[in-house]
Amino acid sequence: MNGAGIDAGYGFFAPNVPSNYKLVFEVHYSDGKIEYELPHVGGADTGLRIATLLDYVGQTHYDPLRELLLKMLAYSTWQSHPNAVMIRAVFGFVTLPTVNDFQRGQKESYEFLYAYDFRFHKEAAEVHSP
Amino acid sequence: MTRSARSRDRLFEVLFPPETTDWLSVLRLGLGLQVILLSMSLRSDWNHLFASNGAGLISRDLSEAISTFETPLSPRLGWIVSGGNALGFDEQAVLSLGWLALLCSGCLLVIGLFSRPAAITAWLMHLCAVNSGGLLSYGMDNFTTIGLFYLMLSPLPDRFSLDARLWRSRTKDPQILGFFRRVLQFHVCVIYFFGGVAKCIGPGWWDGSSLWRALTRPPFNVISPETIISWKTLIPFLGISVCILETGYPLFIWLRRTRVIWLMCICAMHVGIGLAMGMYLFAFIMVVLNIAAFGPGLGLAPRQKLVRGAVL
Repeated sequence: MNGAGIDAGYGFFAPNVPSNYKLVFEVHYSDGKIEYELPHVGGADTGLRIATLLDYVGQTHYDPLRELLLKMLAYSTWQSHPNAVMIRAVFGFVTLPTVNDFQRGQKESYEFLYAYDFRFHKEAAEVHSP
Repeated sequence: MTRSARSRDRLFEVLFPPETTDWLSVLRLGLGLQVILLSMSLRSDWNHLFASNGAGLISRDLSEAISTFETPLSPRLGWIVSGGNALGFDEQAVLSLGWLALLCSGCLLVIGLFSRPAAITAWLMHLCAVNSGGLLSYGMDNFTTIGLFYLMLSPLPDRFSLDARLWRSRTKDPQILGFFRRVLQFHVCVIYFFGGVAKCIGPGWWDGSSLWRALTRPPFNVISPETIISWKTLIPFLGISVCILETGYPLFIWLRRTRVIWLMCICAMHVGIGLAMGMYLFAFIMVVLNIAAFGPGLGLAPRQKLVRGAVL
């Protein structure tokens, strides 16, 4: 069934379109400077795949697995910022306005769900969660 | 003739209608292009997505453990990497070779050279990638797997392929060709029916709010909300149309009078999704599966199709 691709459901965006999740990394440096990063990839198609991954993270109820996935994403970001002393992964979901709310000027809102602090060293990655 | 014999003959006619290889040409060419486009879209991220601990975005080992938890015998890139390591290749080299194999199989499918080995290679490499990057795969991957699975098993080569010209392969049994097309047709109908019913259950598809959310939800928000608002009155109509098109597909695609219009509408829907939501590969694979299943020989009786196939 896996080989034939028939082991998955076909109800995309059904019965309703789910909320979308957002992940932001706060990159902390020893001098107190903070930079903000999003998970970044090379191509547009991979960007669609990141959305799938964030949906999975958001729907995971098993906290250690969620933390592990975010740690891996944070580690990928840390590799671009090896001088950072800490990376805080802030995970939440975006509430989109309805058509009428949008016409009244309402914008999307961000709801905080989880935050994890990760500290990585060049020899070995070490994690400090809240 | 007894009633049971008549029923058996009728069932045989339904399952084994005589067909030419035209639909198979569409499937081979379409999937070849899909595999090429998919490989090229992942070119810069391939090794980053599928590397193991530390070197990748999400560890391949973790992704494989989760996605193959219930299907431990499913092929995955980890097996190929282990095999490559045993031969002295490092992980990055094996992953690059895997990407190259996927790209080359797509090119071979497009020209129809070594069609069967190319189809098997494309299916295997793609399935390995899907299983190893399960947390990063989405609907498009699922439909590409379906298409490649049918292509791999179908009676290749088709008459437009280079194989057919070079090797002068013997004529395919029209009824076996018809059987494989019938299975694909049934599968496509099942996909649309359940997708449509699932949408009908949600109230958001009847008042247009789900369509609005789908179009404004990052990363699918290609069109600005202001532009979508200017078409506000059309949104509920389009939402209901999607429900009707998908749920009605298994009925109206079989009726000769409605087949052309239904096929055109469903393809237009996918092109619209592709353009409005940036899901180009998803749109392309769905159009390919639809045209292969219900396109060639559209509206012709089986005997007419065979006569035309013999003449061309």
